[in-house]
Amino acid sequence: MFTRVVFAEAVKSLKVYFFSSRTLFWALALPLGNGLYLYFLYLPFATKSVDLQFGATTYTIDLVGFTIIGQLLYSFFTMMLLAGASFDAERWQGTLEVLLLSPASRVAILLGGALANAVNYVWMLVALVLSWVAFIHVSIFVTDPLALCGSLLLSYLAMMALGMCLETVDVYSRRGSIFTAWLQEPVMFLSGQIFPLQSLPVSLLPLSYLLPLTFGLMAVRLTLLGGASIYDVRMPLATLASMTLIFFILASLLVNYAERRAKTKATLTQF
Amino acid sequence: MASHSIRVIASTAKVNLIMTWRFFSWTGFALRFFTPLMTLGAAWILYNVVYARQTLPLGFGAVIGSSGYLSFITVGNAFYVFVFAAAFVVGRVMFWERATGTIEATFMTPMSRLAYMSGIMLAAATNSLIDFAAVFILGLAFGFQIALLNAPLFLSSLLLTAFGLFGIGLITNAITLTFRDRTTTANSLMILFMVFCGLVCPVELMPPWAQLISKALPLTYGVRLMRASLLGIVTVDPMHDIATLLVLDAIYVVIGAITLAQIEKNLRKKALFSIF
Repeated sequence: MFTRVVFAEAVKSLKVYFFSSRTLFWALALPLGNGLYLYFLYLPFATKSVDLQFGATTYTIDLVGFTIIGQLLYSFFTMMLLAGASFDAERWQGTLEVLLLSPASRVAILLGGALANAVNYVWMLVALVLSWVAFIHVSIFVTDPLALCGSLLLSYLAMMALGMCLETVDVYSRRGSIFTAWLQEPVMFLSGQIFPLQSLPVSLLPLSYLLPLTFGLMAVRLTLLGGASIYDVRMPLATLASMTLIFFILASLLVNYAERRAKTKATLTQF
Repeated sequence: MASHSIRVIASTAKVNLIMTWRFFSWTGFALRFFTPLMTLGAAWILYNVVYARQTLPLGFGAVIGSSGYLSFITVGNAFYVFVFAAAFVVGRVMFWERATGTIEATFMTPMSRLAYMSGIMLAAATNSLIDFAAVFILGLAFGFQIALLNAPLFLSSLLLTAFGLFGIGLITNAITLTFRDRTTTANSLMILFMVFCGLVCPVELMPPWAQLISKALPLTYGVRLMRASLLGIVTVDPMHDIATLLVLDAIYVVIGAITLAQIEKNLRKKALFSIF
């Protein structure tokens, strides 16, 4: 039953959104634009590489690669934020009450929405491959393919679990999309997407460490561009695995709470 | 005819100003500053921490005619906020008309469509000035300094940019009417402006293909004139940029007006005005 709901929700979302102007904007135009914008932000400076400090080691990473990896993971994060908008769409269409009247597992619905958005992300991946071809001078330095695969997989899983938590806001509140919009720039700033994390003021670091994107960026950049091994990135990988578990449990608690509150207050279909 | 158009402009601007302030939202207002704040913060960190005040070997100052990197970024962001606040309103007129169910009534009136859109532009530009000033105030905390104010040039850059935005707004609305999209067209255009009109990097330092795109955007010249008027930049030829901006503005407005008129005609014929 759980798997069927996940599959049905994912297929429904894909049919509605895969080739829509909304997805093309969020999964293609916005990431490409943001990536170029951040790359141009670096152009007035002399150095074309970025020093990434991790533990006692400093990795010198190619600027284009630094920006592309940042955009690769950040776009996935925005796609997860966007997954919550499917609840908003249900509300607009007047089907949210019907959906929540069904005996389907709420976690399965959340997971289905998140999975669909992960597939919608394929637009970004295609664009990424093309830009990689265009910027052929990106120096990839992989010494441990397993570390790279683990970093990518755990980053995506942790962000998907966080995305599921954020989806519940759209069930609870009619201002879910505003909340989503509010998160974007602070997350870009705090996660180390734009500049290396060691340059961020120390007082802001605790906020950075709440984001799976921070650890994902750290692990993927080090393993794909810095030649780090799985031993080198064991700390971010362990954190990502823990975050996946915590956010998944949190999502299942939050969705029940949000539904109960919305039903008690009869605000499910209110705009 | 002219007096009728002036009345349409004035009344539309009045209605829009009242609507904006009656339904003022702090969250929406604050959201407009997130991108400039992030950019200013990131630029400050890059300049002061990551690269410890190094600039381009070719000489950032030589390309720009001024060495104030953070002032350069502040003006770019203030300009962006002005463009965003104005384009956000003007580019979505037809979407909101359709969403609120007033699009058919609006197009049944005998008023000039250009006068109607001008009224909206006037209100949006007026409101945008608040955001614009706010970014300069924020910029002071990041090291913004006015080197030499050239008031006529500053006002010219604002007025001509607003005129260009009006043309872009007409085209955006024509697209919105045709494809019935919600905000994607307007948002995509904002991305285009943000990336290519030289907000965070001098156009001269961008790759050649990006320079080609930026030359076709009126906002590129608008922001350059604004920087010249505030930062005392001498390498810019103001008359050349003003002339280019005027030509581009005229092209955008003419294309926008023709497209909007044609699309209105087509939608009337096919009765598609209020179909989503």
